[in-house]
Amino acid sequence: MANNDPKTTVPEDDKVTTEQSGLTNAQRELEADAAGAGTVKRISYAGLIWRRFMRQPSAVVGMVILLVMILIAVFGPYICEFDYTEPDFTALNVPPNARHWFGTDGGGFDLFACVVHGLGRSLVIGITYALLTTVIAAVVGTAIAYFRGVPEKIGMWILDMLMVIPSFLLVAMIVRAASGTQGWWMLILGLTAFGWIGYARTLRTMALSLRERDYVKAAKYMGVPSLKIIVKHLIPNLGSILIIDTVLGVIAGINSETAYSFLGLGIKAPDTSLGYLLSQGSSAMLSSPWVILIPSAVLIVLCVSMQLIGDGLRDAFDPFSRAAGKVNDEQSKGDKKQSKGGKAKAAAASSAN
Amino acid sequence: MGRFLWYIAKRLLNYLVMVFVATSFTFFLASAFMSPRSNFESRTPRPTQESIEASLYRTNLNDKTPVWERYTTWLHGVLTEFDWGMTPNGDSVNREISSRIGASVELMTLGTVLSIVIGVSLGVYTAQRQYQWQDRVFSGVASVFMVIPTVVLAILIVFFAIEINQSAGTRIFYVTGLSSYEGDNLWLVFVDFLQHIFLPTVVLTIISAVGYHLSQRTYLLDEMHADYVRTARAKGLTRKQAIRKHALRASLIPTAVSVAFSIAGIFTGAVMTEKIFAIHGLGEYFINCINNNNIHGAVAVAAFSGVCTLVGALLADLFAAALDPRIKMS
Repeated sequence: MANNDPKTTVPEDDKVTTEQSGLTNAQRELEADAAGAGTVKRISYAGLIWRRFMRQPSAVVGMVILLVMILIAVFGPYICEFDYTEPDFTALNVPPNARHWFGTDGGGFDLFACVVHGLGRSLVIGITYALLTTVIAAVVGTAIAYFRGVPEKIGMWILDMLMVIPSFLLVAMIVRAASGTQGWWMLILGLTAFGWIGYARTLRTMALSLRERDYVKAAKYMGVPSLKIIVKHLIPNLGSILIIDTVLGVIAGINSETAYSFLGLGIKAPDTSLGYLLSQGSSAMLSSPWVILIPSAVLIVLCVSMQLIGDGLRDAFDPFSRAAGKVNDEQSKGDKKQSKGGKAKAAAASSAN
Repeated sequence: MGRFLWYIAKRLLNYLVMVFVATSFTFFLASAFMSPRSNFESRTPRPTQESIEASLYRTNLNDKTPVWERYTTWLHGVLTEFDWGMTPNGDSVNREISSRIGASVELMTLGTVLSIVIGVSLGVYTAQRQYQWQDRVFSGVASVFMVIPTVVLAILIVFFAIEINQSAGTRIFYVTGLSSYEGDNLWLVFVDFLQHIFLPTVVLTIISAVGYHLSQRTYLLDEMHADYVRTARAKGLTRKQAIRKHALRASLIPTAVSVAFSIAGIFTGAVMTEKIFAIHGLGEYFINCINNNNIHGAVAVAAFSGVCTLVGALLADLFAAALDPRIKMS
């Protein structure tokens, strides 16, 4: 984990061995230094992570799929002649064909237009939810750890108390008020209101060791305000975990949207979303299977691509992973695929079974 | 022993306060976001204003009563008679819930047991073969199942089951409910039950087994790289012996903790699975409560889930304390 300040970290392991020279990285670095000062190219921390990320084929595939999905969601409405709100009464329940690429449902709505719109909804909800919960959880989690003593006790008690009742139930109460075309805002609000709690607990555990660091103490005794220490010193040092969990949080958000909309609590007509389409299609599963199969496929592809990106990021941030490059003098240590934070998000996603 | 009991008592007291605060919080949240009044107002023909008010007052759901007054009335009923209130239609919430817990338990028990057995064994199996093809295949499949929304998984399974039924020309799998056979032949009752429970159990098993699989794999891998396992190997144990006698035992402690929570989850049911397979359990009841503005029902389900979660947490503490000698009761 990148516990040092990202800006001052000298990327010690940007040692790519593209050519099979048989030298260890240390040797090559020495050689490069001997060739003349300044020839060793240093890259920024973000550049290093990016390079390690791009080194993994699965992560790149996930990234490409996600970009294609975003492009479809943004430009899809322009290439489709139908609108998701306007039914085509001349073609009810037709299978996919040249005119209706994904077919139509029982009401004559063009499925391609609906799926494109739903995909956009899922992406917007998933990304907004992930960003909001990460920010809230990071601030609350580190603040509870930083202040110690009584505030920590009270804060943890409140977090524990909020975890007592499954958040799925609490969110359902709030999001049912969502309706019409503005309902998706309500859905994001409801999901966020209880989505950050479990996550804040894990971040607090991570911050427990950070708060003991010398630079935190130094800042404290120099009179830096608490809020500034939290925002400038504690949160940036959880950066890698926060980024990974934001990506996995998108999956959690998309899963929740699907679940609530399927139950008829989230997004409702006239708006549409992938979960809503599934609930519509499940009643006519035999006569028009494409109405459930296509949104299902889109959801699976979307979630798996996010998962690939999340895995890729995790390996990119993990100095022991294979993404750190083929290093001869360093064996990769145990597989850290399931980081603590990732599990919290995954648990949140699967709590709605 | 005395310290042990004191520890349990302290925990229990803390949990009781938590359930109380969380349930009260849910009550106010539900009262703010649900409107039983709209149930009556949307009826055709619309009942007279007086009869609407009368029904709402009778069930203690009238939003014209201050919410604090409704809360104290409701709380008084809960604490003195364990009466969790009435639905907007005037039915007793207690009766509705108790009739549904059975269905949830019936549904969840098999799935929970299977998912623990399958998930943990797969985790142990793949951890021992890290980065070999078995590990890659199983863990890859598991991480895909991990992120697929439950709805999608369940719908696809239902879809393929119906396809199988059609191609077989007979009903092998039932996709709704828990039983449809009415008769006395015990064997047929059993077969009928299996036909109904099979698909929901598959769904539940998949979604929870992948969690057990991936976490057990990580726990065992962590332990396998620990120093004491290397010591055991150095003393002459084979790799298998070292894993079975040392690493595996230690790695099962965190798994036992999640098993504790799963046991509690058996009683609360599964919202999505119950909804899709039309099983009248607690999860489905909760969704019905939300859709029917049944404030008292929703709060009661939430409170029951809260109690189950905390029983799970208590069990988890006990499991961990019993299995892990490093944990002290304090």
